[in-house]
Amino acid sequence: MMLLKLITWPYVRKHLLRCTLTTAGIVLGVAVFVAMHTANQSVLYAFNRTVDRIAGRTQLQVSAGEAGFPEEVLEKVQSLPDVEVAVPVIEATVQTGIPGMGNLLVVGVDMTGDRSLRDYELETADETIVDDPLVFIAQPDSIIVSRQFCDKTGLKLNDRLTMQTMAGPRQFTIRGVMSAGGLASAFGGSLAIMDIYAAQMVFGRGRRFDRIDLAVREGVRVEEARQRIQAALGPGLQVEPPTSRGAQFEAMARVYSMTANITSVFALFIGLFLIYNTFSIAVTQRRAEIGILRALGAPRSLIRNLFLAESALAGLFGSLLGIVLGVAMARGVAGYIGEYFGEVYGVGEKAEEVAADPRLLGLALLIGVATSVFAGWLPARNAARVDPVKALQKGRVQVISEGENRLRRLVAVAMLAGAVGCVFLSSHPFFFYLGYMLSVLAVLLLTPTLCTLLTRWLRPALKWLRPVEGALAADSLLQAPRRTSGTVAALALSVALVIGLGGISRASYSTIGAWVKTSLNPDFFITGSETITQRSFRFPESFADDVARVEGIEEVQPVRSTRILYKGTPVMLVAADVEKIARRVRARIVDGDRESMYARTARGEGVIISDNFSLLRRVKRGDVIELAAPNGLLRLPVLGIVVDYSDQQGTILMSRDLFKRYWGDDTVNAMRVYAKPGVDRAALRQKLLETFGSRTRLFVMTNEELRAYIMKLTDQWFGLTYVQIVVAVLVAILGIVNTLTVSITDRKRELGVLQAVGALRNQVRHTIWMEAAAIALLGLVIGFALGAVHLYYILDVAKRDVAGLRLEYLYPYGIAAVLLPVLLGSALFSAFGPAEGAVRMSLVEALEYE
Amino acid sequence: MSKAWAVLLVAAAVVRAQDARSIVEESQRRARSGSQRYEGTLEVIDAKRKVTTKRWIYERLGSAGNSKAVLRFTAPAEVKGVALLIHNHPDRASDQWMWTPAVQRERRIAYQDRKTRFFGTDFTFEDLEERDVDRSTYRMLGEEAIEGVPCWKIESTPKPEARSQYTRLYLWIRKPDYVAAQIDCFQRDRVIRRIRYSDVEKVQNIWTARRIEVHDLTRDSRTILRLEKLEYDVTLPADLFTLQALRRER
Repeated sequence: MMLLKLITWPYVRKHLLRCTLTTAGIVLGVAVFVAMHTANQSVLYAFNRTVDRIAGRTQLQVSAGEAGFPEEVLEKVQSLPDVEVAVPVIEATVQTGIPGMGNLLVVGVDMTGDRSLRDYELETADETIVDDPLVFIAQPDSIIVSRQFCDKTGLKLNDRLTMQTMAGPRQFTIRGVMSAGGLASAFGGSLAIMDIYAAQMVFGRGRRFDRIDLAVREGVRVEEARQRIQAALGPGLQVEPPTSRGAQFEAMARVYSMTANITSVFALFIGLFLIYNTFSIAVTQRRAEIGILRALGAPRSLIRNLFLAESALAGLFGSLLGIVLGVAMARGVAGYIGEYFGEVYGVGEKAEEVAADPRLLGLALLIGVATSVFAGWLPARNAARVDPVKALQKGRVQVISEGENRLRRLVAVAMLAGAVGCVFLSSHPFFFYLGYMLSVLAVLLLTPTLCTLLTRWLRPALKWLRPVEGALAADSLLQAPRRTSGTVAALALSVALVIGLGGISRASYSTIGAWVKTSLNPDFFITGSETITQRSFRFPESFADDVARVEGIEEVQPVRSTRILYKGTPVMLVAADVEKIARRVRARIVDGDRESMYARTARGEGVIISDNFSLLRRVKRGDVIELAAPNGLLRLPVLGIVVDYSDQQGTILMSRDLFKRYWGDDTVNAMRVYAKPGVDRAALRQKLLETFGSRTRLFVMTNEELRAYIMKLTDQWFGLTYVQIVVAVLVAILGIVNTLTVSITDRKRELGVLQAVGALRNQVRHTIWMEAAAIALLGLVIGFALGAVHLYYILDVAKRDVAGLRLEYLYPYGIAAVLLPVLLGSALFSAFGPAEGAVRMSLVEALEYE
Repeated sequence: MSKAWAVLLVAAAVVRAQDARSIVEESQRRARSGSQRYEGTLEVIDAKRKVTTKRWIYERLGSAGNSKAVLRFTAPAEVKGVALLIHNHPDRASDQWMWTPAVQRERRIAYQDRKTRFFGTDFTFEDLEERDVDRSTYRMLGEEAIEGVPCWKIESTPKPEARSQYTRLYLWIRKPDYVAAQIDCFQRDRVIRRIRYSDVEKVQNIWTARRIEVHDLTRDSRTILRLEKLEYDVTLPADLFTLQALRRER
């Protein structure tokens, strides 16, 4: 402690900027880790809390995925001996049109019995209406909203609220206001309760319920009751506690965690190199201090521990800052993720409270400190090896690690060989990820060697540009590879991260774009919701025939898509007229015979699955998959695998007849409409809106609009990726600033001598600028190469573990072309400060010894 | 509705000393009629003494736990047309469906919901059932006068298969005419609901209470039902008591 106070603190105070910059990598790494995970956890927590609050005293829930089930199931459940209370529920998210309010979660319940499970705690109500369930039911425009909602919107009891219904915008009357807390605070308070049968009508749900909430009889164990109820209802219906919905949501959120983890690891790696770099230089600079300490009898272990303590402190400081920054960023990220989930999965959740899990913060702190200590370990060991005699002889440099370079190169080559070996065994996740790690580590360990090699090649070019300054800059890099290789490695990692993220983004756009072109080729898409991902509103089956009768329309393909559970994970089930689709769509077939697979699927003899379903669920053509439907368990062979990006968790295509039979649901949530050749599309769209707009709620999207919408979703998905790219570039720039600042300080004497022997100020400036540009160039070259490897691996991660996306390997040359001037420019810009510092420093101070 | 418990209890029998069960049986026998029709006026007085009024028409075919009944609201406007169809069974709890014209839907009232309040009144759905005498066991507790009229005080305990919300009931049956004077409904050891029958009149040779007051002791609210235009043995078509008929009547 005393040493830290006497030796470290004055050093830190003197080099405050450098020390701060050093910890920047840790700050950003920890911040990204904390922000992404806190945001993910907050959204998940908000979702669980909503489930919990809506569940009330519900002990078990009966469901059949998003499709729901026929009303008759309710009586069956209510008649089971273990069931005390069972009430039906419908949930729908609707737009209110109130600016800034987003969606309102409407929960349809049967007010006759629902109060047995849920407390509405009405603070204000028209007693004759709300206190009397039947009167509430008798008036289908009745809704109860939360106090929070009223406070936000300025609405009060008996005010009218417009909500979107199947019959278009309709006014509802607020007949009760729930007190804050409990049920009222579910979905961030944006919650409305209405009669379930009115909800069925306004959302076009037919005679179906989404789920049944139940409480078991007193004295009956919930798990035992669950098993008996499940056995009585059969496998087509799932009987689970409300908490299981959180697990399903988590599966969807996992994709984001994965990408966040990769970015965090890279950012921390960058931080590791920055710290390593700074500490290595600090050891060199503080040789004299170390020598004095050793001469005074300080043991090697004390010196080593001193440097380790310093790196631990730097890690602690960086981690704490990173945690603060991460928590601050989490709110924005949570809002973004919540919105994205709402768009894509239709289960948008607002994380009103963003609270970091102390365990997560502890882990972030540990990772930050451990990374820093690990980075400081080599410099600390070198510091401990300082020979006091040599250290106290000014101008004499002790070569500490002659043998290390050879060893490092050997290890790097071995790792490279290991990585190549792992490629052949990469079908196993362990070897895949080992290969990934080894290849990155090998490139990093080879960085000093690569730096020396590349600088030698670069020297003539630099010399050609500026004979004196170019040679000086190149020599400076060659003479002190330790000083620059850490920064180059950090820079290379940043560049690789950007190349990886940019590459996956480019591949996704290209692949999804190609899919959209081939598969989504109808002229119009008619939906009951603003977006195709929302399925709250549905049309009756007959509506498709009505649309088909409109003049100018050649064909209508009714589609019912719904999310079902496949082995506990929500996947997308698309029920359509497969034969018609096969005639119109030329989807890329991964496995299967085009003619037979569509024909057999149309006959209900099997299903076609998407490529990502196949990859994520490890299902091959010919495998039999089991689908739990309300009317029984379906066992169907996989007849073909096609490229389809409708859903991140995978898609199953089946015939509508089969779906109707097993799900007892003949509603439609989208229609693919083809116009006759030569028909004016704009006029036809107008005709559709005029013909049906007054009768039902409908949205007619043109093909271009749908494509734009899907690309917008892709944009949203990559929205956070772009933030990560900015972070990576920022860290890279910080790395250059750090290195140059350190470099100038380190070369104070050398630069002083240069000026003393007549070097012009501009020559010194140019030397430093060229050195900065050279560091950036080295980082870019190695980064581009490492990025190519990184991209290969993350495309595979996306395929096997994230979204089952088989993305094409497309190197993002455009991004690389942008990075080149950006980082070179940043390097030059970063060099201005240090260069001016170098030319303005006191010669007397610089040449004190001489 | 007025006959829910009265039907159980109002009857005539031998005037001699009897056991508890036979008194209840006699009460039920005396109240028996082929059908019934009345217009009811409901006054609900909540804990804050706010009064709301509703009106309905009640029609019943059959009696003594083997009957069908339709109750249709006529006022106020917000509940007009809402109806309840009850199929009473002698051996099990009744089947009940509610019809809501605004959504054109009938909904089944589950057994579990029978303890919930009916139409914002202090009656529960269970209180609307006609129960056969065999669905409870009885014990004579003694004799007590209610409003000056001598009564038998009988404890009635619903059998488990009745799936009643009540643990037991205390019935006061008027000695002179076998009409129920009061019923105390217990949940465990607490009286939660008290039903008082008054304005007893002879209508078409059946002694009937024309005023029924239910006091919910937990909420401290009261519901008073007055029976008007009461008729027995009116001609009512059987198909009036079906779901199809509910859907037709809008």
